[in-house]
Amino acid sequence: MVNERVVTLSIPALPEYVDLVRLTLYGIATKLKFTFEEIEDMKVAVSEACNNAVLHAYGDLSGNIEVTFQTLGEELVITVKDFGKSFVVDESKEAPVMHGKEIDEIQSGGLGLYLMQALMDRVEVKQDGGTAVTLSKKRLASEETA
Amino acid sequence: MPMEKLSLRTEHTEDRTIVHIGGEFDLEAASRMRAALNSLIEQADRRITLDIQQLKYIDSTGIGILISLAKALHARNVSFDVVHIPSHIRKLFDMTGITPFLMKPESSI
Repeated sequence: MVNERVVTLSIPALPEYVDLVRLTLYGIATKLKFTFEEIEDMKVAVSEACNNAVLHAYGDLSGNIEVTFQTLGEELVITVKDFGKSFVVDESKEAPVMHGKEIDEIQSGGLGLYLMQALMDRVEVKQDGGTAVTLSKKRLASEETA
Repeated sequence: MPMEKLSLRTEHTEDRTIVHIGGEFDLEAASRMRAALNSLIEQADRRITLDIQQLKYIDSTGIGILISLAKALHARNVSFDVVHIPSHIRKLFDMTGITPFLMKPESSI
């Protein structure tokens, strides 16, 4: 039976509060026995979702970002939700990665969504009175597989 | 007690300028880093090395600023590299494909 537990954090949509989300994530993921590497991956992915909300959701107005950490067995499901205007997340666009390119061709933006997708097992974006990004990652089995 | 989240220290050696970056290079640190690195670009007259041994965290904001720095220095013909890259940060550099623009292949010199 899956035992569901939820932690919710609400922060002002400002750059100096995003580290609180990382600290909370660290605490929760450590309890769930995620590895150092998995935690570092999730920290970046969750921060990318928060950064998008900080930069795009409210314009010059103030607003909050609600982050929900949901534990489902060995899976951590993190939802980053804002209540501002929806921003365009173009998932069909080619990943803005720089492999095989020359320095004159590379761009400095647009890596956020790519990193979220590369670092998590699943990424879902919903837009309905704001934007909600759901990020999921399963902890690697602790049993010896060899 | 306020904690210094991003640390920046510039060191001038005989042949290069080394900038030591430590702490968290995130959205909060972005404007400070952009300003510091822009003044570095303006004064760049010799090789520039970023030493990120003490860097604990970087995300796409920081990576974007490093790309801009690499491009600006390349355009000015200033040699640039990043050294002492922690493994979890190296992973992000490899994922995004930025690594070749930050590291000089030692063997090919």
